[in-house]
Amino acid sequence: MVGGLAFLTGQACWKKKLAVLSLLAALLAIVAVKASARQIIDQTGRRVNVPDRPQRLISLAPSITEVVYALGLGDRLVGDTDYCDFPPEARNKPHVGAMLNPSLERIVALKPDLVLGTADANRRQTADQLERLGVPLYGLRAHTVDETLHSIEDLGRILGREREAEGLVEQLRARIESVERRVAGQPRPKVLFVVWYRPLITAGPHTFIADVVAHAGGLSISNDLRGEWPRLSLEEVLRRAPDVILFPKTESFSPGLEEFARLPGWKELRAVQSHRMYFLSETIMRPSPRLVDALEELAGILHPAGGLGRRPTQ
Amino acid sequence: MMIRATRRNVLLVLIFLSLALLLVGLGALTMGSVRLPLAEVWAGLCGARSEAQAVVIIREIRLPRILLAMLVGAALAVSGTGLQALLRNPLADPYVLGISSGAALGAIVAFWAGGRVAAASPLVAFLGAVLTMLWVYLLGRRAGRLASYTLLLAGVVTASFLSAVILFVLTLLSSRDVRGTAFWLMGDLSVVTDAQLRLLVPAVILAIAGLYWFAKDLNVLLLGEEEAAHLGVNVARVETAVYLLASLLTALAVSVSGAIGYLGLLVPHLGRMLVGNDHRMLLPTAALGGAIVLVLSDTLARTVVAPGELPVGAVTAVAGAPVFIYLLRRTTG
Repeated sequence: MVGGLAFLTGQACWKKKLAVLSLLAALLAIVAVKASARQIIDQTGRRVNVPDRPQRLISLAPSITEVVYALGLGDRLVGDTDYCDFPPEARNKPHVGAMLNPSLERIVALKPDLVLGTADANRRQTADQLERLGVPLYGLRAHTVDETLHSIEDLGRILGREREAEGLVEQLRARIESVERRVAGQPRPKVLFVVWYRPLITAGPHTFIADVVAHAGGLSISNDLRGEWPRLSLEEVLRRAPDVILFPKTESFSPGLEEFARLPGWKELRAVQSHRMYFLSETIMRPSPRLVDALEELAGILHPAGGLGRRPTQ
Repeated sequence: MMIRATRRNVLLVLIFLSLALLLVGLGALTMGSVRLPLAEVWAGLCGARSEAQAVVIIREIRLPRILLAMLVGAALAVSGTGLQALLRNPLADPYVLGISSGAALGAIVAFWAGGRVAAASPLVAFLGAVLTMLWVYLLGRRAGRLASYTLLLAGVVTASFLSAVILFVLTLLSSRDVRGTAFWLMGDLSVVTDAQLRLLVPAVILAIAGLYWFAKDLNVLLLGEEEAAHLGVNVARVETAVYLLASLLTALAVSVSGAIGYLGLLVPHLGRMLVGNDHRMLLPTAALGGAIVLVLSDTLARTVVAPGELPVGAVTAVAGAPVFIYLLRRTTG
């Protein structure tokens, strides 16, 4: 009863003042944060207000999640996508949905001070909508191995981890160069990368995959096609006679390799007859530090036993 | 346009179309992204050097694909003809009753499940088509027999529902799988195994022959159900048989080639312009015409952007819509 009375008299007034004051303080704090933000042009050409020391990050792509963890900032990640599966801890972060259609309200509710996206996995509309909601989104673009390294350095700069990023990139670059040294001067096996076989879809010249294949000492047979994911006729594959056929390994859709030994046309391919068909881990499609693992794996496939470019066909 | 075709004229048309199909098929054999001289095509067709690349391209890539195009084209055109008569609706096509959506859903679920199930996607697609066919049949029955109006509505609603489910499943797939399935949905004749062809050839021919059995009844049915009944046609039996056979043809076609559009709508109309409304002549004309049109379309799809390929469904749609509009203007204007 007493408390209730107090609420009606002076004490309530005091409380109200306190509330107003704290609101003001909060507003000031926000202004202060805003003041400490830099305006930066991101890799997709958008102008973004990036806070000086972002503390609450949301990643909108598995590759970015991996980079954030690799820079030792996993604990600052407050949200990621349903597809962020590496490192395993990333699975336990609150998810904001898929790359193409993340839940905006989930993102806002997690109160990030910076959202990280990529030009390939995310949509521009997501960035624009977040901007309207006052949430900055920094966009990265990584279409090649080199751009992947560059985007790691860029993220390091944005997140205040320049030194870690430089160290990481130096390591990765050393490994890439060692692969390049190993395959230099070797005959380049012809490679068919199968994105989908029903119908046959392969990777065009300006794709991430094509770049990784080139770095691993292979020669993609679809380098003269147009578009990112062109269809290729089977008879043309026969004429171009790939030495090695590669498939990305995904959880869905992985027909057994023995399937192909039964398909007309396919079964006549040298790569099928000599069993040079391989499933590659999906990291080959992911511009993250583990890309170099995929690169080393692929170089081992294309140039087994440290040099033999082509296994003799039976 | 509705000149009553004399038996002799129709025979001529059929002989002409058969020859045209043969020529188109042979012509298609010589075309592809790999240039092969005629001599090599011939050698590939009947040659013995089975290790040569030309032989492989002709026998294992082009020939099965052309055969598949003929079968699928014939199946879709005959199915469309049957359904247009059954539903007494010139806009009916093999997909109007949702059978293709059922097949597509089956295929996509198979891709989604992955592994061995994905490898067996034609089988799962066929299962989806047959289940849809039975479901629409049950919905379309009224007082113990098919009612064409109810059947049409049941089919259309089922088709749109299944399309919605397909869109939903697509959102569950990764972007790579979505791209692959989208191409499949647009129609594709590039993957067929010998075993599938061996099953498909007799199945399609038997189903077309089965429909032909009811050709005379279909003619009478065009007068209206009551009139047909007065003339001694067992309407319920004919309608059920035509529905099941036409749907089976669609199911067979869609499960191996995806949804190739416009062909099943257009070819029956072209056939009617050629031989009139007598189904004894119209059905074989549609079968041959459908085969010719699809072989031509697929040859375009294979060669226009060589060494790449276009989805054959895109070719039939892009070519089919203007032809349809032209026909519409010509016959009404």
